[in-house]
Amino acid sequence: MIFGLLVLHVAVCVVLACAGRRLGRSSLLVGAVPPACSALWGAARLGASPPATADVTWVNGLDLAMTFRVDAFAEIMTLIVSGIGVLVFVYAFGYFGPGATHTGRFATTLLAFSTSMLGLVWADSVWTLFVFWELTSVTSFLLVGHKSTDTEVLAAARRALMVTAGGGLVLLAGLLLVTGEAGTTLISELAPVDGTAATIGAVLVMIAAATKSAQVPFHPWLPGAMVAPTPVSAYLHAATMVKAGVVLVAVAGPALGGIGAWKGCGLAFGVASIVWGALGALRHRDAKLILAWGTVSQLGMLITLFSVGTPVAVLAAVALLVAHALFKGALFLIVGEIDVRAGTRHIDELGGLARSMPVAFAAAVLAGLSMAGAPPLFGFVAKETAIQAALGLDGAEAWVVGFGVIGGSVLTVAYTFRFLVAVFGPGPETPLSPRRHALSVPPLVLAVGGLAAFAVLGPLDAVLAPAAVRLSGGAPVDHLHRWPGLEPALAISAVVLVVGAIVGLALGRTPGQAPADHAGRWTDASIDGMVAFGRATVVRVQHGSLPVYLVTMAAVAPLAATPLLADISLDHLVRWHTPLQGVLAATVVGAALALCWVGTRLGAGLALGAAGITVAAVFVIHGAPDLALTQLLVEAAIVVGFVLAFGHLSRSFPKTGLRWRTVRMTVAGLGGVAVVIGLAAASGNPVGAPPLAELAAASVGEGGGSNIVNVILTDIRGLDTLGEVLVLATVALGVQALARAASSREGSAS
Amino acid sequence: MNAALLLAIGGLTAVGLYLLTSRSLSRIVIGYSLLGHATVVALITAGGPAGWPPIAGGAAPEDMSNPLPQALTLTAIVISFGLTLFLLALARRQRTLSGDDLVEDDLEDRRIAAVESGPTETEDSVAT
Repeated sequence: MIFGLLVLHVAVCVVLACAGRRLGRSSLLVGAVPPACSALWGAARLGASPPATADVTWVNGLDLAMTFRVDAFAEIMTLIVSGIGVLVFVYAFGYFGPGATHTGRFATTLLAFSTSMLGLVWADSVWTLFVFWELTSVTSFLLVGHKSTDTEVLAAARRALMVTAGGGLVLLAGLLLVTGEAGTTLISELAPVDGTAATIGAVLVMIAAATKSAQVPFHPWLPGAMVAPTPVSAYLHAATMVKAGVVLVAVAGPALGGIGAWKGCGLAFGVASIVWGALGALRHRDAKLILAWGTVSQLGMLITLFSVGTPVAVLAAVALLVAHALFKGALFLIVGEIDVRAGTRHIDELGGLARSMPVAFAAAVLAGLSMAGAPPLFGFVAKETAIQAALGLDGAEAWVVGFGVIGGSVLTVAYTFRFLVAVFGPGPETPLSPRRHALSVPPLVLAVGGLAAFAVLGPLDAVLAPAAVRLSGGAPVDHLHRWPGLEPALAISAVVLVVGAIVGLALGRTPGQAPADHAGRWTDASIDGMVAFGRATVVRVQHGSLPVYLVTMAAVAPLAATPLLADISLDHLVRWHTPLQGVLAATVVGAALALCWVGTRLGAGLALGAAGITVAAVFVIHGAPDLALTQLLVEAAIVVGFVLAFGHLSRSFPKTGLRWRTVRMTVAGLGGVAVVIGLAAASGNPVGAPPLAELAAASVGEGGGSNIVNVILTDIRGLDTLGEVLVLATVALGVQALARAASSREGSAS
Repeated sequence: MNAALLLAIGGLTAVGLYLLTSRSLSRIVIGYSLLGHATVVALITAGGPAGWPPIAGGAAPEDMSNPLPQALTLTAIVISFGLTLFLLALARRQRTLSGDDLVEDDLEDRRIAAVESGPTETEDSVAT
């Protein structure tokens, strides 16, 4: 079924890609079909056990497999991804008016994203997770850059891609370290790990999660991505894709939660993002940016709670995950509707919307109160549980988490009230275009969802609690309560609501300037720096000069000999077997050196011949007459060929600078030294005397020849020799073809 | 192992590398050839000390040189001969076409470098 659904998604994607242009706007409705199927399947599976699994192995023994496992937590994520997906597709149908262009392309990409996100939440193998993680980054890039003619849009899309894809690389490194330590690549089988490698891996995984979930200091891409069409902002950058990092922290929590650095990093990212994100939401004046900064803050809250990892905290995080998808999705869609109908979303230009858009206002109040954590809405339950989780901790952790959760809640209430007052408050009435049902119904559904979730908390708890049990490593968890009873948490909640409401209402419509986007500029500057570095490297590395390429390689290769320095042994080293070898060695090196000095091609050819003949003499002394004969023949042929090819080019070789010559000499000398080191090290490990008597007997008896070398070549490895003959024949054909081409050119030119 | 031949191998390698990195195709061929010499001498030296030719009935087996590396070396000589000849044919063709035997820089790489150092024109140049 899992594969069936994925195939359905991909198939519809292909259909939309082919027929999108003809279908136009209705391709968005076609695109809603696969998510609807997934959502229905997920809903039907709720509470079912055991988890649904599916896998297809690609490479046996390398753990390279597409492995999926839909457990209690994945079912909830399926409902979020596909359920909200259906609403967003319908909403996009209204968002893009009948005259909009490129809607087919938009529908294709949005469905591709939806597929990737489903794959990500269903993945059990870390490599499956990684592949879909990267796919969401790419599809997000395409969706942010949908209006691809605007430079601001392109810059924002590039920023989103560089940060999230860079995080993907960090994730890959982290997963390699963690799975290497854990000995499995299946998330469901990850056992708690420790050790240095696992710690580094855990920190890298946490950093990757922070890039995807827009945590401080990686957050600037998320507000930047608000240039995307609103359905994208609501779907990717509020309800689903930015949750990928949170999902990663959640599923890795049971295995990595015991590592101190993991928790420390998570709390640092989380608490910093709660505070900085909320402050951003209080200062911005674009309704969409207010919500985006609020998302940074809420994601920080989720990362904090999942990093804490106690059963209560995990339960609170799961509840907040669901609540956030409902209320933030709704609010984004409402802002999108305002944007479409009023033509602006800047709070200074909006007025009287509470009266002129009553349905949107009602939905916004419902969703907003859920975001603020006010009863009787699901956000209240989530926040109440989060405060209980913070109160249940000890020591420094209790202070940090308490500050984050309670302080963050006050700020959340404040920016919620500011948002509601600023967007829907009184003022000169903004003119509106006519109402579209496709725009107003989806946010209302999501907003009412928050109310309904509170009403049916019992059955919902039966779904969320197993997910929390799975994510806290099997520890039993408490239940969610509609009414927590008269406890400290309730008192704190009341104070939070009152203080936050006062601050928010006071800030309401006070005039001011939106803060400058320093962090965004720094992010762009560092991306620019990286690109400039890449360009400079390409220019330096890909310079097009063959000699420089060769020198670079020759300079690096000798490094391989350094470990052999320790193995050099002089025990088996003799000066020479006969003094004549010393003389020949000096002659061949002398001939070689002469080759560097000789000025003309003809002289060089003769010196080359001299070196070759000396090598033949070395063979004679070594007791290898066959080699000597072959060498003499070969050398004669090469000298003739050399003279034929270059002979009449008698002018001297091109001059090169002294510095470049010195570099070449140094590198070449190092290469020679490295070869000597390698051979000297190898000679310390002799294998013993060759079985000469047996070879001689077998040569005569079985090979029918007394020359052992010849018998080896023609009999023992006769097939290799046949191959050698074929190589020579091929060379002969090639040489003939080249020579004929060259001479015909010569003929036609003359 | 034989120290004199070892040093000869090192010397041949160094000179071969030096010539291989020059711009003149004839020197490159020579450098390649010298590297081939270094390799075959290394093979034969690594096989054991000098001795009588490994011909059954010619000398006592314990006085013979090792025949196995000789067989391998023979193959090495022949293959390197084939490659050298092919290089020479390529060089002759190059000479016919350009009138010289110099290795030019890769023009495509030079063009990329020129484009990259002027980022303002990047998009246009890549598009065209």
